[in-house]
Amino acid sequence: MFYRRAGIRHTRYQDERQLFPLGFDRLLILSTLLLLLIAPLIVDRFYLAGYLLPWLIWTSAAQGLNLLMGGAGQIHLGYGAVMAIGAYGSVHLVRFGVPFELAMIAGGLMSASVGIVFGAAALRVKGIYLAMATLAMQYIIDFVISHTAAIGGGTLATLQVPPATFFGIALHGDLPTYYFALAFCALVTLFMLNVGRSSFGRALVAVREKDYAAQILGVSTFKYKLLAFWVSSFIGGMVGAVLAVCYLRAISPDQFHIELSIQLLAMVIVGGLGSVLGPFFGSALILFAPIVLNNLLTFASNFFGFSMSIDLRAHAPLMAYGVLVIAFLLYEPLGLAKIYSNIRNYLIVWPFRHAQR
Amino acid sequence: MTVDRRTFMAGTAVALATPGLVANRALAQADKVVKITLSQDFTRIYTFVTSEYNQGQRDYFTLINERGGAGGYKIVADVSDHANDLPRAIEAYERGKREGAVLIDPLSTPVARALVPRALEDKINLITAFSGRSDAADGTAFPYVLPLSINYWTQIGLIIDYFQKVEKGDLKGKKIVFVHIDTPFGKEPLPILQVLSQKLGFELATFPYTPPGNDQSAIWPQVRRAKPDFVIFWGAGVGQTVALTEAIRNGLPMDRVSSSVWLSESDMDVVGRDAAKGVLKIEPCVGGREPKIIKDILSDVVGKGKGAGPEAKVGTAYYNYGVQIASLIVEGVRKAAEKAPNGPVTGPWLNEGLQSISKFTAEGMLPPTTVTKEDHQGGGFGRVARWDGQKFVPVTDWFTANQDVVWTEVRKYSEEFRKTGK
Repeated sequence: MFYRRAGIRHTRYQDERQLFPLGFDRLLILSTLLLLLIAPLIVDRFYLAGYLLPWLIWTSAAQGLNLLMGGAGQIHLGYGAVMAIGAYGSVHLVRFGVPFELAMIAGGLMSASVGIVFGAAALRVKGIYLAMATLAMQYIIDFVISHTAAIGGGTLATLQVPPATFFGIALHGDLPTYYFALAFCALVTLFMLNVGRSSFGRALVAVREKDYAAQILGVSTFKYKLLAFWVSSFIGGMVGAVLAVCYLRAISPDQFHIELSIQLLAMVIVGGLGSVLGPFFGSALILFAPIVLNNLLTFASNFFGFSMSIDLRAHAPLMAYGVLVIAFLLYEPLGLAKIYSNIRNYLIVWPFRHAQR
Repeated sequence: MTVDRRTFMAGTAVALATPGLVANRALAQADKVVKITLSQDFTRIYTFVTSEYNQGQRDYFTLINERGGAGGYKIVADVSDHANDLPRAIEAYERGKREGAVLIDPLSTPVARALVPRALEDKINLITAFSGRSDAADGTAFPYVLPLSINYWTQIGLIIDYFQKVEKGDLKGKKIVFVHIDTPFGKEPLPILQVLSQKLGFELATFPYTPPGNDQSAIWPQVRRAKPDFVIFWGAGVGQTVALTEAIRNGLPMDRVSSSVWLSESDMDVVGRDAAKGVLKIEPCVGGREPKIIKDILSDVVGKGKGAGPEAKVGTAYYNYGVQIASLIVEGVRKAAEKAPNGPVTGPWLNEGLQSISKFTAEGMLPPTTVTKEDHQGGGFGRVARWDGQKFVPVTDWFTANQDVVWTEVRKYSEEFRKTGK
């Protein structure tokens, strides 16, 4: 009823091969995009700066990690460090007077070139061994940043982000930063949607499923594993730059520690490995579940007038959050995106459920 | 199954929609209130420091509100947990800003760093007591960032000055060992130590340990072999108790071992109250239950069942730090109300008050604290206290020292901030 697939007869190959062949999907995506575009008009700026902006940035980062983990099947525990390289690289360049447009790309390139070095470990090791290698990257980068005064910013270990402009628009204040992050996230998402349909994406899938089988079929695992690390790190570096300029505004090493890497990993896994939609759901859950649960509990304790010690009030949401993540994964191990796709599959044939294959 | 899924999704939708309701909740609608945000880290790194510090703050606010407020204004504090996580802290900050909060105290260095540019822009007072950037002492560069407490540079300056007094004014040829956690926080005092070592002629040896510092057994035998005249250890959380344990194990003379403000009764319980006898720390305010304010809290707040936490914690070191900062905030409100009795309550209004705190001692609990538009540190007074097995006993009076060196460093970094911040 909603999707009205019956009667759709594509007469051109382009129609069938477009990103969203079903009209309803297109409508859904366009209306979501429209909602996000007019969000500053309909929601308070508090939601803009406190929720939407971090959501868009963390989603972009999770997309980059998802390309590597979901797309190419290579685990990465050091994605926070990848972002750190991009953030520090681009902020230093902006401080030297390089325009942010270039500094951002340069930050991405720096991340990519360092990321590929550690990614080379993937040529020899897999699974938890690769996890160890990338974990080593995390700690090495952390160490280098906090022990090199020229990079980390000396005694106070804080690097102030100078005012940056993007093609004449000052990235400052709620609106420009929000729209910039939205545009960037849309770009990354569009890229991710298309990767799946390209030869590059198919090669990554082949490597993910069985690397030596891929090699036998003529897909160079050497090339594609390194390429996966390169592209993913490039995106990570760019997100690092966006994060620094639009959100953090002062960067220090502790912002990019292992906690960030684990957070992104959780977003990708909870959201759904290999799904483009997954990171959107995953980052929303991981970023905001603790906040929302905390606010709910505060609200409940105020509303019903029961007093709770602050320690309990602070820890109870964390427990609930843990339970929530486990429950989602038990209920749907393929992630939140799979829950969405189940609903979609159900609705496609609704109300004629028997018609489902 | 489908029904389950639907309820599940509906539940999620409800949970997501709720912050709107929560944010709109009716706050205490008394006409004269000053709203402040106490979003602090209760669950990740600062944990027990935070819960004691926060308990002290809230007990003091209760005491003042029960007495009719400061200058007629009641303090309404919104307490929440940011778990040292930036998105959570920034959400709390933005929520506070929306609800009209004029002050935020995050008690976390990483969070303070990210909030500095925001607070300066939004004109919301950011308290960075015992955390944040040390150069925020320079009020001209950071008008809305107020440490209101001695920063780490001053603390190290006080310790060295005390050592100098112990050596009858001459540290020439003496050896001072600085054992620190290998993070930016641990390395922060180094520039001051280097300048002072040049100036006073003592030999400086530094020993970094890897964070979080739960194993320092490789470092301390080297410290012992270095035959130091004095030892300073610098860390936080578990690193502090491990350092102290190792110092005792290696037989260093405890009355020549000192740390920063981050040493409390709880740490002594971990190390062993008797074993740690003699160790020195910096006190930014009077500890224990002796000060009048703490006695008042015990009788008027805790005694009446309005305490914010367990009674046993009242009067512990970090509890008193909380009371110290809360009393300075309240004094700021009082001063602001003196200047403009009818408000309106805004960031700049409170800022005026906080910057005109003058020779404030909170009935004998604080060193005389004067906050000016230039000096946000409050004068740089502290004292050295010694653990006697039961409590910390002051061995000096309130004093300040080496402020010239500290301020050279402060200005160096605040100048740098001024250049790139704008």
